[in-house]
Amino acid sequence: MARKNDPSGQPSGVDRWKASEGTQGRAPRDSRGGRRRVSRDRRRYLTTLVVLLVALGVCVFGFTPLGEKITQGLDIRGGVSVIMTATTSDGGTPSSEDMATATQIVQQRVNSLGANEASVQQQGSSSILVQIPGATDAESTVAAIGQTGHLEFVRLDEIGDADALAKLNAGTEGVKLKEGTYTAFLDGSSITQTSVGQASNASTGYYAVNITFNDEGTKEFAEVTKELAPTNGRIAIVLDGVVESAPAVQSEITDGKVSITGQFTLDKATSLKTVLDSGSLPVTLTMSESRVVGPTLGQDSLNQGIVAIGVGVALVVVYLFFFYRGLGLLTMGSLAVFGIIYLGMLALLSSFGAFSLTLPGLAGIVLTTGSAADSSILVLERFREEIRMGRSIKNASVSGSKHGVATSLDADVVTLVTALALFFVAVGSVKGFGLTLALGVVCDVITMFCFKVPMLRLLAAGPIERHPGFWGVAADVAEGRKKTEAARSAAVKGGARDA
Amino acid sequence: MRSHFSHEIAFIAHRRQFLAVSVALVALALVGLVVRGLVLGIEFRGGTQIDFNGTGDVTIEQLRSALADAGEQDPTVQTTLANGVEGFLVRSDTTDATVATQHAAQTAEELGLPSDSYTVTTIGPDWGADITCSSLAAFFVAILAIIAYVSIRYEFKMSIAAVVALVHDLVITVGVYAWTQIPVTPNVVAALLTIMGYSLYDTVVEFNRTNENAKQLKDGVHRTYYQICNFSINEVFIRSINTTLTTIVPVICMLVIGGETLKGFAFALLVGELLGTYSSFAVASPLLAVWKTHEPKWAKLEAKYGASASAAAPAKGVE
Repeated sequence: MARKNDPSGQPSGVDRWKASEGTQGRAPRDSRGGRRRVSRDRRRYLTTLVVLLVALGVCVFGFTPLGEKITQGLDIRGGVSVIMTATTSDGGTPSSEDMATATQIVQQRVNSLGANEASVQQQGSSSILVQIPGATDAESTVAAIGQTGHLEFVRLDEIGDADALAKLNAGTEGVKLKEGTYTAFLDGSSITQTSVGQASNASTGYYAVNITFNDEGTKEFAEVTKELAPTNGRIAIVLDGVVESAPAVQSEITDGKVSITGQFTLDKATSLKTVLDSGSLPVTLTMSESRVVGPTLGQDSLNQGIVAIGVGVALVVVYLFFFYRGLGLLTMGSLAVFGIIYLGMLALLSSFGAFSLTLPGLAGIVLTTGSAADSSILVLERFREEIRMGRSIKNASVSGSKHGVATSLDADVVTLVTALALFFVAVGSVKGFGLTLALGVVCDVITMFCFKVPMLRLLAAGPIERHPGFWGVAADVAEGRKKTEAARSAAVKGGARDA
Repeated sequence: MRSHFSHEIAFIAHRRQFLAVSVALVALALVGLVVRGLVLGIEFRGGTQIDFNGTGDVTIEQLRSALADAGEQDPTVQTTLANGVEGFLVRSDTTDATVATQHAAQTAEELGLPSDSYTVTTIGPDWGADITCSSLAAFFVAILAIIAYVSIRYEFKMSIAAVVALVHDLVITVGVYAWTQIPVTPNVVAALLTIMGYSLYDTVVEFNRTNENAKQLKDGVHRTYYQICNFSINEVFIRSINTTLTTIVPVICMLVIGGETLKGFAFALLVGELLGTYSSFAVASPLLAVWKTHEPKWAKLEAKYGASASAAAPAKGVE
């Protein structure tokens, strides 16, 4: 921008600067900027808007119907949400391996509840978040997650349930044993170590699960295997009453080191190891946070939140229209574009399971909508200010939006830093809030470049110039004109300010 | 409608009054923190919170006796009213989720309430410390990142002034919580961190302009830093008012018609946003101006033009 000061004007700091903007600022562009340049810009703005329109169409298509496309968090849908914290027996932080095992074990417990949309994920270094949406029987759900798995070793010939036995012999997986129909000769507490390794005849490429027992376990196991080995009798590994595996005994095992083989792939071997581990969990899991939300309650809060947002946005729009007249329409448009892109992004993230709307998240959305309105205000204020400095409406729209955008980008970066810090460092509900805040900033930037700026410049080149009154800039234009005249007639100095 | 003032408002000239008010408020907040302390939500202490909703004619005595029958020891019970629907808020020290859920179910059954009419939140005893730690970590990471960004983008002195204004806003907001004894929940912590963003946003917008003006006037040696600051504040003041209004209106809506969860959040935001706007022109800019004026370059200008210029109303802008 041309900001060389005119030495002829009496220097008086800001006054002089402002005056020089009026006369000098527009001269170069007007003389040079031929029709071609303008129309090229116009075409570029129009292209941007058309591309945006298509993108908006995709967004609208992507997020309707809203209720289905945007995943609702537990506090809205209702259900059970539990955060479990793992500690080692000496009170230290568990290793990442232990955590992975613990997470798998919790996953298995949750799966056994038959909840189909349940999610189990590790959070931070020692927490596991379990979410079971729509869980209706909260009481037993919480109890089931909280229990420690009970692992038992049962001789097949000591299972009294004929049905189950027949299924086992037929090779059915996950057979459930009725309580009292079997007696275990050993339980999970006798296991000291488990590992997954290559099967001894490594050429097959199969894996084996190795178990080491303590003294008592070793003795017991030796006895049982001695009896079973001649007939290749089978031992069922039972977790919480469900047969997870039922290997046949190949030989007597006296050293307490058992290797379970059976054409296991790595995955299968690992999952069997998990079963064994859950009876001898390396860490203690305690429930740190448990939320049970009734489904109607959450829906009520969501509705209240949406009503709050609706009323809030309506009031803001009325105010902006009152204050900025026609330019307020531009802000409304920006808010609409912002909203559509925002919802589109949320729907996209939801479909990848990376987002669910919680109540704090809803608050985050309200807030970013506020800052989206702010970036409009920044641009509009700057635009009008430049008109008041004496620029033509067209030039003011170009430089005004440039400066306004620069300012709001700076401010957006600061908000983004906060949001990302929240998202990456914080845990729990605060995290979801950080995510919505960060997304809002991204949407704001997109709206700024793809809608606000091209739209303002396009409008400035036509409608605003023709009807300054409707667009609310008549007073600014009048003042700008005065200022320009005042600057021209060098005699007037004091009048330049008190317009 | 005019969007700027025909006279400059003398913000910087009243810097001593502004700063005095701020110091007083911060002192008051600190006294509140020491004397009354914060009421921490169960998320920080461990314990159970049960919200019953749509309880209709159930009286507080009936609920108390039902809770006692279920085995809930010495709970505090509050009545709530959300959108004309009666409910109760029960807090107790039970930290075992299984037990708490069972108590809630039993109580609901005894009172004949449907099983989806309540929410139970149980927080283990150590969890609060975890949340507090991670929130504090998030806070310090963000502060350092912001100081770095503002220092690189503008200058170090601006980043410090901005952070001082930010801490001012946070301390006073926390002080309000101490004086009103409203429980502090993780949502409030999230709100505080948002206030942080807002306060900085507003200050950065103002400093952006100050920085621009100071550069413009590098050779316009007739202006002191105080005058530039004041002029810049005036230039962005309408934006500040409009922005504050547009962000505060939805927050007020949340406060008035939002559910219980959103209310705690909205209150902190309301206080924090008002402070965030105030501190930009009343704390951050004056501090920056005072500090910058100590630089030899600006000190010289101040000595030459400052005393008379700020004694006579700088509003006129006529020399």
